[in-house]
Amino acid sequence: MNLGTVFLAVFRREWTMIKRYLVNSISSLISVYFIFILIFMGFKSMSNYAMAGSLEGSLEGTIVGFFVWTFTIYAFSDLSWSLISEAQAGTLEQLYLAPCGFKWVGACTVLANFVFSSVPIMVLLFAMMATTGKWMNLDFVSLVPLLAITLLGAYGFGFALGGLALVFKRIQALFQIMQFVFIGFLIIPMRIAWAKFLPLAMGNSLIYTVMVDGARIWELPLNDILIAIAVGVAYLAVGIVIFSQCENVAKSRGLLGHY
Amino acid sequence: MGTTIALEVESLTKTFRDGGRKSVRAVDNATFHVEEGEVVGLLGPNGAGKTTTIKCALGLMRPDSGRIRVFGEDAQAGYPGILRKMSAVLEGSRNLYWRLTVWENILFFSALHGVASSEDKAYFNHLLNLFSLEDKRDVEVRKLSQGMKQKTSVVCALARRTPLVFLDEPTLGLDVETSLELRALLKQLAIEEDRAFVVSSHDMDVIQDVCGRVIIMSQGRVVVDDRVNSLMNLFRTKAYRIVLRGSAPAGLEERLRQEFADASVGGVDSGTEVRVTLSEDDDIYRLMDILRGLDGVIDEISHEEIDMEKVYLEIVRKERERS
Repeated sequence: MNLGTVFLAVFRREWTMIKRYLVNSISSLISVYFIFILIFMGFKSMSNYAMAGSLEGSLEGTIVGFFVWTFTIYAFSDLSWSLISEAQAGTLEQLYLAPCGFKWVGACTVLANFVFSSVPIMVLLFAMMATTGKWMNLDFVSLVPLLAITLLGAYGFGFALGGLALVFKRIQALFQIMQFVFIGFLIIPMRIAWAKFLPLAMGNSLIYTVMVDGARIWELPLNDILIAIAVGVAYLAVGIVIFSQCENVAKSRGLLGHY
Repeated sequence: MGTTIALEVESLTKTFRDGGRKSVRAVDNATFHVEEGEVVGLLGPNGAGKTTTIKCALGLMRPDSGRIRVFGEDAQAGYPGILRKMSAVLEGSRNLYWRLTVWENILFFSALHGVASSEDKAYFNHLLNLFSLEDKRDVEVRKLSQGMKQKTSVVCALARRTPLVFLDEPTLGLDVETSLELRALLKQLAIEEDRAFVVSSHDMDVIQDVCGRVIIMSQGRVVVDDRVNSLMNLFRTKAYRIVLRGSAPAGLEERLRQEFADASVGGVDSGTEVRVTLSEDDDIYRLMDILRGLDGVIDEISHEEIDMEKVYLEIVRKERERS
């Protein structure tokens, strides 16, 4: 196994692509920021109407939610979009010729993207905090592992939809719908008993506790962390199983390279 | 001393179902092998099953039945590690990242195969020189001409340094000049490097030019598996051109037609030209008897110059009639 070499190659490819598509990368980030600004102004105008004070908590929640959501979308769309675009571009089959197996190339891609996307998303977070004047606790020792745990579920969805895209091809509409479904997972109140079994939900709530309440990771309830891990791993596993099944279908129908 | 078998395809069958109703047998009980260091052509019209066969070997498609062994190892059982021994330029897809430069593509795809040492990089440079791409090294692939893109694809496959290389329709869509250049390069590589190449094409010129042995596929079946030379000899020995002195003796054409269906007689500057295809070993004597009987004076006898094109079209036509 030359996983190190493969990872390095994928890492370098991603970095080069980011540089080549720099305008694209920056403009998508700016548009996310503007969506946030609109929501923020909505908050401000609402709080001008006799609701002052009561929305303070929600504003912080919105920033955290936006922060996690952006990470989620990047994580989710990296996998499924890159599968589709590689199939379209005609490079997917070449990736399938990697002796380590395509899944490892995919895993390396995910890892590289996590690293590269975290930089602009952090910039976005600072922009949001600066705009609102709400400065939050950025304890990276606690945040990075919690983010990773939370994103497992998003990667699961990415694998599943990527697999479906291999077989059914035109499923972009489903992607757009998923972005809104993710918002649902992130804003659902944790007092609902079954909410913690949804992807992202528990992890997001823990991240909120760290960023808003200033808790460190070891001060969080161990049970909650374990649930977040278990839920994340479960969704990831289901996603990978769906992907493998779809891959089998695509290979027996000869659909792998076509789009 | 036995030669190593690089690729062994045994009773390979692959059927595609179209919405569960119509089924197309893309590959039908195909059996052939490719030896180490050998350059084998996979020739056939579009839809003959060439690409499907190649993709089954590479694990990009799953065969219905049959076995594929790569250097003695079962390809399905050894997947994906077995890919260490194989690389490919696939037909109908780009094979490259258009936003990356030639050099970046080479580095990326070779690294997927764990090929990344400084000695490997020297070899990449050698390939760039060989393919006259050295001054395009740092140019994004999307800015290259079709021919250069295709050459880069081939370089990327070679850069993986595998002992078995598949080139699926490598000259498709190229202009004549580039096609000839690529063919010359492949010939040179076949001599220089001790790798097995499987070159698929619907263009017999390419195969005739590059390959030592040809496997002709038609409607999913292997219909011919022979050395390119002996295949051509086989046909060459049967087609004759005879020049007789003076004008044609009366009744020559009718007399010949009785024995040889495709015989033709025509006038040329130096006399009368007779073209005839002989199918049996003693046909030549019968032909001579006819000519002597009509007092023909033979000035010249030669084999008809035959190209693979005729051979191939004839084989494919017969195969279609049969099914």
